[in-house]
Amino acid sequence: MLEIKGLKTNFNTYDGIVKALDGVNLTVKDGEIFGLVGETGSGKSVTCYSALKLLPKTGEVVDGTVLLDGEDITNASEERLRQIRGGKIGIIFQDPLSALNPVMTINEQIGEVLILHQDKELKELSLEREIPVYNSKKFSFSPGIEFTIWAICISFISLFSMLGQFNFGLPFFFIIAIMLLRDYLQQDVPDSALDILVVESLSKVKLPNPKQIAKSYPHELSGGMQQRVMIAMALAGKAKMLIADEPTTALDVTIQAQILQLIKDIQREENMSVLLITHDLGVVAETCERVAVMYKGKIVEENTVNNIFKNPQHPYTKALLNAIPKGGKERLKVPEIGEHGAI
Amino acid sequence: MTKEYILQIKNLRKHFPVKNVWGTDIALVKALDGVDLNIEIGKTFGIVGESGCGKTTLMRTLLRLVEPTSGSVILSDQFIGKSGRTLENLTNKELRLFRRQIGVVFQDPMGALNPRMLIKDIVGEPLVIHGKTGNLRERVIELLENVGLGEEHLYRYPHEFSGGQRQRIVIARALALDPKVLVLDEPTSALDVSVQAQILNLLNDLQVKFNLTYVFISHDLSVIEYMCDRLAVMYLGKVVEEADTEELFFNPQHPYTKALLSATPSFEKNTKRIMILGDVPSPITYLDESKAKLATDITEQERLEIKAIEGKNIDYIIRSSLNEVFPLIEVSEKHFARVKS
Repeated sequence: MLEIKGLKTNFNTYDGIVKALDGVNLTVKDGEIFGLVGETGSGKSVTCYSALKLLPKTGEVVDGTVLLDGEDITNASEERLRQIRGGKIGIIFQDPLSALNPVMTINEQIGEVLILHQDKELKELSLEREIPVYNSKKFSFSPGIEFTIWAICISFISLFSMLGQFNFGLPFFFIIAIMLLRDYLQQDVPDSALDILVVESLSKVKLPNPKQIAKSYPHELSGGMQQRVMIAMALAGKAKMLIADEPTTALDVTIQAQILQLIKDIQREENMSVLLITHDLGVVAETCERVAVMYKGKIVEENTVNNIFKNPQHPYTKALLNAIPKGGKERLKVPEIGEHGAI
Repeated sequence: MTKEYILQIKNLRKHFPVKNVWGTDIALVKALDGVDLNIEIGKTFGIVGESGCGKTTLMRTLLRLVEPTSGSVILSDQFIGKSGRTLENLTNKELRLFRRQIGVVFQDPMGALNPRMLIKDIVGEPLVIHGKTGNLRERVIELLENVGLGEEHLYRYPHEFSGGQRQRIVIARALALDPKVLVLDEPTSALDVSVQAQILNLLNDLQVKFNLTYVFISHDLSVIEYMCDRLAVMYLGKVVEEADTEELFFNPQHPYTKALLSATPSFEKNTKRIMILGDVPSPITYLDESKAKLATDITEQERLEIKAIEGKNIDYIIRSSLNEVFPLIEVSEKHFARVKS
């Protein structure tokens, strides 16, 4: 599915060139979950950003090729890359709250992906059911009980003042009346094709009450729900491959178990490839089939999960496994490495 | 032999009020709801739980950074030389003395260090505040050496250090006034495994060297298992289970503990696991009862979720939205569900 050969990435800093990636070779097969482990600064994330050309301006891919489904995307145009990102490869980032736009509803954010990548399906659906592709931006003011009380109070005030003579109360009265009327009328607007597909993609990630969630803003959801929305967004474009960059680092263990189970289920149902980037060896053991260990911008060991945990070959892998606290009380063996892998 | 306790927490409660637009209380967030813990001297006491279960509130109440609603913390005579004192009726002078004896290490080291202060000022600040300014420089160097740093780090700023070194500086500062108790609030959650191993080793060394008592708060069960002698599992402001670490890990009693333990990713594949569906229920208790019973039944979506999971070698637990002591209700042998009204 994804094949990376000899990828080299440099960052130009004031202190000189930082070789973040130093010849990374990686193959993710069709329909497998591939784990990429390493510590902070070892180049895990840079690998996936380089492959998708999402590097910041200081970063630069010096050498290497990236093949996606047999297609060389190393020198692909920006236009083609836009189709690939989201259309063929979906990405989940570490912190869902900062990856989601706080001023857009979930509906709008997933809708954006659908408009970009699922144009045909949207049009087909709208023709089939004779509904619009998307409604114009809804006026989303729903009067809560407090607002209603305010509205009634103000309208009474304006009514009373109207009895005397015309004053500023009158326009207020009309504005509120129109707002309430508009909101009332809009409840009967049928769902557009976009709404239907958004709800569909949200229920795919097993979110309870997807219609309600589509209307809400990111901050109204819990961390686990936000991450589910991120997954829904990554899958909305019918991506064949999912890159999950530390998808569970910001979550609790119980929620982490849910999200990992979800990724596994979806991978099996859709027969997708998943590249799981993480620093947690336990997560890898639980989820992945094959795993690569990164250190200082290189892949030092690549093997199936069972082999790597039972019989680690490279000294760094051994050190990493030893550093995990286990049941016993014996002193932890600290790997003799710098705190930062790269540079 | 009777055990000697340094802190005895008795029925501690902290309720935060929730106000509506008019300023009247409509609900209570029961952050701590009757916590009883006894912290033994010279041992490491662990507190685990998910986010929002009240771990951090407990820590803040222990330091009296927030005033508890009710309950008391009985201090051992090691703190202020008098026996039988409780935390909530300390005088200002005694509180100052008490805070000298209890050090804190927070989760995010960069947030805990002032970016515009030199390391010598950061580590020396507690000494200056508590008026122990004699031999200040030597004392700061000694503290830094305790945590594996040295004289050459005195005139640097926090941003010049890596995450692990910053956490060392925070530990050095916490040790500045020779505390009896060190409260560690997720000290390693922002660190890599190899750096985490260094910090945990350092903490173990310091405990032996200075005969410290640790209160170790974490959500990482492997770290807790490694560090702690005794352990309390918290859920929604209550302690659901408290036991010695080994006992709790080998023979968990409460269904929530079982689920929490099985949720931790492990190297052994195909172990049977108990899934917890849904998020942590809100700890808010509405004073108006009609509001509280909004979400009690299993939703349609959850039914689908159960169907999807059934027969996959996974047990499951559904969290209740009701605010009950034990929100997990046993339906059959291995299935738990939320309460139906």
